[in-house]
Amino acid sequence: MLSGEFIAFIALALAAIMGGVLLLNLTKVVHMVVAIVFTFVSIAGIYVLLSAEFLAAVQILIYSGAITIIMLFGIMLTKHNDESEAKGIGWRKVFMFLGVLAFGAAVYIGIYDLDFASEPSELHVKNTEQIGLALYSDYIIPFELTSVVLLVALVGAIILARKDDGGKGEDKK
Amino acid sequence: MIQDLLYSSPSLANFGIFFLLATVFLFVILGFVTYAILAERKVMGFMQLRHGPNQVGGRWGLLQTVADVLKLLLKEDTIPKLADRPLFILAPAIAFAPAFMVVATIPFTDSLQFADIGVGLLYYIAVSGLTTIGIVTGSWASNNKYSLLGGMRAAAQMISYEIPLVMSVLGIILLSGSLNLNEIVEAQKDGWFIILQPIAFIVFLIASVAELNRAPFDLPEAESELVAGFHVEYSGFRWAFFMLAEYVYFFAMASLITVLFLGGWLPLPFLGFIPGAVWFALKFSVVVFLLIWFRVTFPRVRADQLMEFGWKVLLPVALANIFLTALLKELLNAF
Repeated sequence: MLSGEFIAFIALALAAIMGGVLLLNLTKVVHMVVAIVFTFVSIAGIYVLLSAEFLAAVQILIYSGAITIIMLFGIMLTKHNDESEAKGIGWRKVFMFLGVLAFGAAVYIGIYDLDFASEPSELHVKNTEQIGLALYSDYIIPFELTSVVLLVALVGAIILARKDDGGKGEDKK
Repeated sequence: MIQDLLYSSPSLANFGIFFLLATVFLFVILGFVTYAILAERKVMGFMQLRHGPNQVGGRWGLLQTVADVLKLLLKEDTIPKLADRPLFILAPAIAFAPAFMVVATIPFTDSLQFADIGVGLLYYIAVSGLTTIGIVTGSWASNNKYSLLGGMRAAAQMISYEIPLVMSVLGIILLSGSLNLNEIVEAQKDGWFIILQPIAFIVFLIASVAELNRAPFDLPEAESELVAGFHVEYSGFRWAFFMLAEYVYFFAMASLITVLFLGGWLPLPFLGFIPGAVWFALKFSVVVFLLIWFRVTFPRVRADQLMEFGWKVLLPVALANIFLTALLKELLNAF
């Protein structure tokens, strides 16, 4: 039972969950961002264990840039020693705890007996190629639509951030 | 030998062997870094009509870097009072660990490679991006305006130049049909990619110098503007870790350029009797020399020029290269 894969999974899962818990409990923005880094990198490690190496590399590639940006926003939009104080009243915390318990139970029941009809398990062979083939043949329209949506978001962000040449920029909120 | 090990079943003995190999490799890289710094100072000295280090360790200054490292290790380890202590300590480790992780995937010869990853090229680019997080973290934790500015510049530079870097290698991936570095080298049997993909080579070279934060793109640590950039507040071995990360990337990037564009361990025609490791070392040294040459020759660009160049020149050129490569490949296949 105690195979190398199991040990690696436990270590990665612990790191991922610890990163998540720290993210919720730390009080400084930049600390939280560093906590997310651990979560995301551990999740990429779990992808490697599932032999989805392409997904793992992309996960790190995308999120290392994204996290750096989040961190910059955190730095630029908050004061250096700004801390978020814990708020919440007693009964609210109890309800939250109950909610978390219910969610945990629901997920546990859902996942524990989950049985994917065992598909042909050749998924890990050349998975980069398989992802590419699937994306560009079966799912070409959703894929292209996604890129259009992203482009729209990009243009929208530029328009929102652009200063008006004529105006003073004070009418912007 | 390593290939057999990689495919053997896991056991404690294997773990020990890998641990030992990794340690040996770490020391090899430390040795490289020691002499890369010396080589850089000597080459810079000669190009600027000076001698460079020539006192410690004979007339070639062979022990100069060793003495420097010793000095760094003996230095007082200062942490500013108002710095964010845990992150200040963590940042050099975050910056260094990916630097050592990426070299695992580089094939030095056809039998000497530590991890034969299917998406090796993507792995390299992805993991190397993590270092920037360490740099930004350290720059913020120092609680110093100069270091924060340096960190901001590092982040902006990484984001802008990673895109042309990835785009330029897409041409190679199109031609070789693989992300695996071994297969990319094998695909160069008929012609190195520097000949088949000259535009990609130039874009990649420029973008990789920017990713390495070396002159002319060394804005995160521009001495004349930012004192010392993101590591102003660091001293002693923590500072050494940042420098070490930088030079390990230097090693890794020179190896990657060798593998991607110069055919890795493949020999020139009619010279196949020279072993692959020698070829790799030769090509690698040429790339290292080229990068040092860049540093001595070019003046530092301004921050806005850097952004403009990345987005308005390199990215369109890289995209055009992909288009051209795909077109040529299809045309050649058609006939």
